[in-house]
Amino acid sequence: MATLHLLSHSPFSDGRFNSCLPLLGDTDALLLAGDATYALTAGTKPATELEQLPEQVALFALEEDVQARALGMLPTRVQLLDYAGFVELTCRYERINSWL
Amino acid sequence: MKFVIALFAPPHSPAARRALRFAEAVLAGGHEIVRLFFYQDGVHSASANVVAAQDELDVAAEWSRFVSANQLDGVVCIAAGLRRGVLDAGEAQRYQRPAANLAAGWELSGLGQLHEAAQQADRLVCFGGQ
Repeated sequence: MATLHLLSHSPFSDGRFNSCLPLLGDTDALLLAGDATYALTAGTKPATELEQLPEQVALFALEEDVQARALGMLPTRVQLLDYAGFVELTCRYERINSWL
Repeated sequence: MKFVIALFAPPHSPAARRALRFAEAVLAGGHEIVRLFFYQDGVHSASANVVAAQDELDVAAEWSRFVSANQLDGVVCIAAGLRRGVLDAGEAQRYQRPAANLAAGWELSGLGQLHEAAQQADRLVCFGGQ
């Protein structure tokens, strides 16, 4: 069953990001919200790890959180979402696993 | 699609605002919210005593308005609420506390309400963290 993983903690101050990545199945997706969007910071280890995820794993981020942090040079595979897109995404995945 | 939305983070956490914006988008998208459930520090967003700075979003007040305006089933975990001082009139009287502070639209109930709603709904989306 496809699972959408929702991360909101920064990978630079918390271990959830590192715990989450190895658990992603081929049909799973990862949505970065809040400080978790710092994982997209160009040239950093978390950004490289995101680039190296299997192709089938879809990567999303909340656009307002990316903009609020002035993150540029985003990995090409990341798709930015507004809240309507966030809701639509949760409809496409049978389970949503929030890394609280 | 039927949603249950659970909030674990306090009103000053970005997660509380994110949950609110998500809930608004769920209704705007034509979906149904079977139940909102506030748990752990999330119960503070159901307090009528939270005061936000004038230039900040009053998340607790927005939640109360949102629940009342859409006549949603808004449930606050009673055990989490009591230990954090979020009381309705009945609990304030039972434990002889000077005031009740549960905001309009909400009711105190047990964790079983989250479990039951998760069974009824198509999706359970939890918000917490930062």
